Amino acid sequence: MNLGIRAILYSARKWKKTLLVFFLLLAITTLVLSGLAIADAQEEQSEELRGVTGASFTVNANNGYTLQPVTDEMIEEIAAIDGVEAYNTSQWTIVNLYNQDTLMKGTDEREGVADLFYGSGCFDSEYSPLFLSGALRLTEGRHVTDGNGGIILYEGLADKYGLSLGDTLEIKNGNPDDPLVECEIVGLFEVIADDDDEQATMARPSTFYDYEEYIFVDMDTMSAISTPYTASEGNGITSVDFFVSDAAKLESIVQEVQNSTSIDWNSYYITVNNEVYERISSSIADTATLITMLIVVITVVSMMLFVLILSMSIRSRKRETGILLAVGIAKPAVILQYVLETLLIAVVAFPLAYLSSKQVAGALGTLFGKAAQNVIVTPEHFMLVAIVGGVLLVVAVLVSSISTMRLKPKQILSQME
Amino acid sequence: MSIMEIKQVGYSYDNKKKVLKGVNAEMEQGKLYAILGPSGCGKTTLLSLIGGLDSPGSGQIYFDGQDIARTGLSDHRKNHVAFIFQAYNLIDYLTPAENVSLTSKLPPLPILERLGLTKEEARRNVLKLSGGQQQRVAIARALASEAPVILADEPTGNLDEDTAQDITEILKESAHKMNKCVVVVTHSGELAKQADVVFRLKKGELQVLERIDDPSAQPRSRRNNTSRSERRGR
Repeated sequence: MNLGIRAILYSARKWKKTLLVFFLLLAITTLVLSGLAIADAQEEQSEELRGVTGASFTVNANNGYTLQPVTDEMIEEIAAIDGVEAYNTSQWTIVNLYNQDTLMKGTDEREGVADLFYGSGCFDSEYSPLFLSGALRLTEGRHVTDGNGGIILYEGLADKYGLSLGDTLEIKNGNPDDPLVECEIVGLFEVIADDDDEQATMARPSTFYDYEEYIFVDMDTMSAISTPYTASEGNGITSVDFFVSDAAKLESIVQEVQNSTSIDWNSYYITVNNEVYERISSSIADTATLITMLIVVITVVSMMLFVLILSMSIRSRKRETGILLAVGIAKPAVILQYVLETLLIAVVAFPLAYLSSKQVAGALGTLFGKAAQNVIVTPEHFMLVAIVGGVLLVVAVLVSSISTMRLKPKQILSQME
Repeated sequence: MSIMEIKQVGYSYDNKKKVLKGVNAEMEQGKLYAILGPSGCGKTTLLSLIGGLDSPGSGQIYFDGQDIARTGLSDHRKNHVAFIFQAYNLIDYLTPAENVSLTSKLPPLPILERLGLTKEEARRNVLKLSGGQQQRVAIARALASEAPVILADEPTGNLDEDTAQDITEILKESAHKMNKCVVVVTHSGELAKQADVVFRLKKGELQVLERIDDPSAQPRSRRNNTSRSERRGR
């Protein structure tokens, strides 16, 4: 009779012991799978938090506006670094808006001119400080980006003049002789900032404009309307904000930027903005550590309990071990039988634990402040637990068998008499 | 020609109490050997050493001229010897038929039926059989293994008189009809009377009794390898 048949017969006929090990394994595996899902949900949440903290660094020109601007090559090089998600600059100027059909009122000699507006040129308006801070929110259309231009304006202004997405405006700088540049309306925003926000209700001392009079255009448009006022050389950009996808990596990315030999760092300096991340990082780390510790404790305690029960089970089979050895069955074959019995149980328990953990993980996750729908047990978790769990089970059986297997058959049988 | 040979075998418990002191013996196929001796004299220990369940402290044990310590005790247990224990030592989650099949590829039912178990009993839970039936299963397991040496430790110790006689007959048949070398450790004078050779283990030494049918007869030391009749003939 081979060991496989012996293992199956033992599992079937000693069904109470088999069920005990099965339920224990099912419970442990369900807990570990749920723990992994919660840990992943925590990691995802941490990453999300690190991504939305607006962690950024700013490359500033040392020598003022016209002398040594931040060049396009520098911007491209830095933007290409792994972990840099986006970049933006804010070039401000006072503009007039015109529309031939709706005849916006203004002070200009042409009909249809609107009042003065405060215009911002952006590489990506989504990363403009006003949108990032939540003072403004895009309600329709899209943001303007480098190479995908247009104009974004206040939705109340569009209503006032009967404008909508896709309509065209002309924009120019404040002087009558400045060039007119045609722009399509690609986005509308609302003002979220309340009356307590000084900038929302009254002009900043330097601008005299409130948020309803802000417009956003891409850098190409800004360059076109600013041509008469820009220096003869360079793009006139004095600072660029680079945003990172993971605030935790901000320091290393900045280090990488500073290591760039193609940039003359005598002419530029970097400032780092990770205030929000600094504030929340310790609480993120505390939660992550707590969850990791809990998973480790659950796994270790469970495995110890399992080894203890296996040990007791194998010890209770000492006589059987002695008999099997006495009738000439080799030690490895006896151990393999015990391993096989445990793995037979695991083959059923692991997939069932996968299914049960899908139900349990969400509920457990809520105890750690996770949304149940974000705590997902994946096939990767199952594979990890099945492989590592399988190895641990084999080790557990080996450890449990050591004390018996070190004895000679006569010693084992003598102890049983 | 002897199939088992024991040469100068010594053994002590925990390196203190010496139970076997230079034991010598030769055993042949086709014979039933009985080993007598008081409790605790080392009979079971000697049987365990012959069966490779333990290693001697000194000396060698040969099977068919090969030192079993060199060929491997596990291999010796698997291929050369079969045990019948006083406590039967059956695997409790296997049926009698499955216990017999543990080390044998022969069909178990004919052997079990020959030893008096019905087909239904052969498929019953082994623990639900009587002591005599369990001992028959243990003997069937030993016979089915096809090992040339059968080692039995008090095989009739827990059995009533009639069953003990049945078991003794089976062991005799195994030796005489199946050409096995059967070595029995026993306290039973009845069993010893039916053995072909009787050894007495006393004070760590193995002696062959002069008259096989009289266990109380004067022994001669196995170390002195010549019999009185042989000496008389010189």
